[in-house]
Amino acid sequence: MIRPTPEQKRQWEEEGYLVFENAIQGDDLKRLQSAFDYWAAECKDEWLDRVEAGEAAATFYDIPNPLEKDTIFIDIIDHPSYYGALMEFTEDDVILLGPQVRTVAPFPVSYTGWHPDVGKDNPLHIKVQIYVGDVPTNGGEFGFVPGSHKPDSGPYKRPLLQESMPGHKTFPGKAGTAIMFNSCGWHASMDNATNEPRKSIILIYEKRTPGRIGPEQFAAISGHCKTSERRRLFSLPDLTS
Amino acid sequence: MPRIDAHLHVFTKVTPEFPREVTPICPAEREESAEKLLDVMEKNQIDQAVLVQIGGTSIEHHSYLLHCLNSYPDRFLGIGVVPINHPNPTDHMSALADGTSIIGFRLFELGGPRDIFETKDVRDIQAYHIWKCAAEKDYVLWLYPRSIDAHLLPYLIQEFPQVRVVLNHLGMTPGRGKFSLDELGRPQIQVSGYNLNMHTTYRLARYENVSVHLSGQYAFSKQDYPYKDLAGWHHNLLNDFGVKRLMWATDFPWILEEPGYGELTTVIEELLPHLSESELADIMGGNAKRILRFPNRNT
Repeated sequence: MIRPTPEQKRQWEEEGYLVFENAIQGDDLKRLQSAFDYWAAECKDEWLDRVEAGEAAATFYDIPNPLEKDTIFIDIIDHPSYYGALMEFTEDDVILLGPQVRTVAPFPVSYTGWHPDVGKDNPLHIKVQIYVGDVPTNGGEFGFVPGSHKPDSGPYKRPLLQESMPGHKTFPGKAGTAIMFNSCGWHASMDNATNEPRKSIILIYEKRTPGRIGPEQFAAISGHCKTSERRRLFSLPDLTS
Repeated sequence: MPRIDAHLHVFTKVTPEFPREVTPICPAEREESAEKLLDVMEKNQIDQAVLVQIGGTSIEHHSYLLHCLNSYPDRFLGIGVVPINHPNPTDHMSALADGTSIIGFRLFELGGPRDIFETKDVRDIQAYHIWKCAAEKDYVLWLYPRSIDAHLLPYLIQEFPQVRVVLNHLGMTPGRGKFSLDELGRPQIQVSGYNLNMHTTYRLARYENVSVHLSGQYAFSKQDYPYKDLAGWHHNLLNDFGVKRLMWATDFPWILEEPGYGELTTVIEELLPHLSESELADIMGGNAKRILRFPNRNT
């Protein structure tokens, strides 16, 4: 496990985000891209039916139950590139809330405006966004307002145009880049002016609080969770208990 | 500042003079006349209203709407309906709007690729010619699109930035099979708890020619008046579109019995209690007067 450097810890505290370039690479990245593309294609028709029924948004879709579809989606949950940072920031007590394996269509307007996910009184809530394909500038890249996670920051207001958010920073990146951020900070997906969809995976974690996730949540992948540490991450009962 | 009900319907019994389609929501003998509307408006200090066509799409089906607009020219403006598959929508729209108080047209579908990934050329969208006509003749487009069409809107809005666009009923986009009538004969739209329109129609706020109705709460809420479960949607619309692009409406006559017209005149104060007096006045009529260009009411 690779723990964050003092500089990374300072940046996390002060700015609320970290970027891990080449976090996923080589065969892992190929496996991830292959599984992503296969399952995104498999699940697309069902998504469109749900859009028609008013049960899903038309501008993006997530692969349902990805952890049950390919083990690479499990393996990235505790990937060593960023898992040490997750553990450090949660005092070695992190749980997974869920993954979003997401395809965002090219669209004249970003599918989501600037927002925080949780209030500042929420237990530490962390997201890791992994780019499955290259995400260029103006390609739906992640945007974040550094420092907006701090208790004394703001107030902030959602602007009409994504690029008008004061103090924001955007994060174009190569496939395999992982961006970790404190999700009580203000963030967004920037507009995608390209003709390519943005393919990324958003992993959602939180510092453990009692009962937040029950043992049934990830029971379907229990067989893939052999170590005590991974079972704790997925809120599964320890094998020895 | 006038108080304007920015979306409602009037209709008569089916007669040779005023033909219309008979539907479960508008049975042949039901009548909700302009005079009945004017009576409740008067009792509730509402000055003017937008009459939205109901009962069919043909020119003949618009007879009662045109009659009301002619009878009360300083009280009403009208919205007609144009079918998406009309062979010559320009003729249809002109026939209804030229020399009348019909200022625009309502669309329920846009007729484009259902798959956002297949949306390449705006001219492939079936409603393109309707939008083009609206742009050329300065008609308002009054939109209550299906959820499968929501992704087409920014392409059309970008192509025709001069068209005034009004999203009906909180910017919602009903899903297929999610419409029903309740025991009072009111439309009910089944929606998910998470407002998916945050990712489609609410994102249109960046286009300054797009406005939204604060109306139709009864159809989406799971609670009785004042529909507090929808307060968050109202706050989001206020935050995104701003106070100058929201218009209050009742959707008369469906609300007459429950919760009552009078109650709906205070629904905005209930759901957006922090508005200033002038902001509330904008939403209750000032914006409709400005955006829809209502005439001054004769005293």
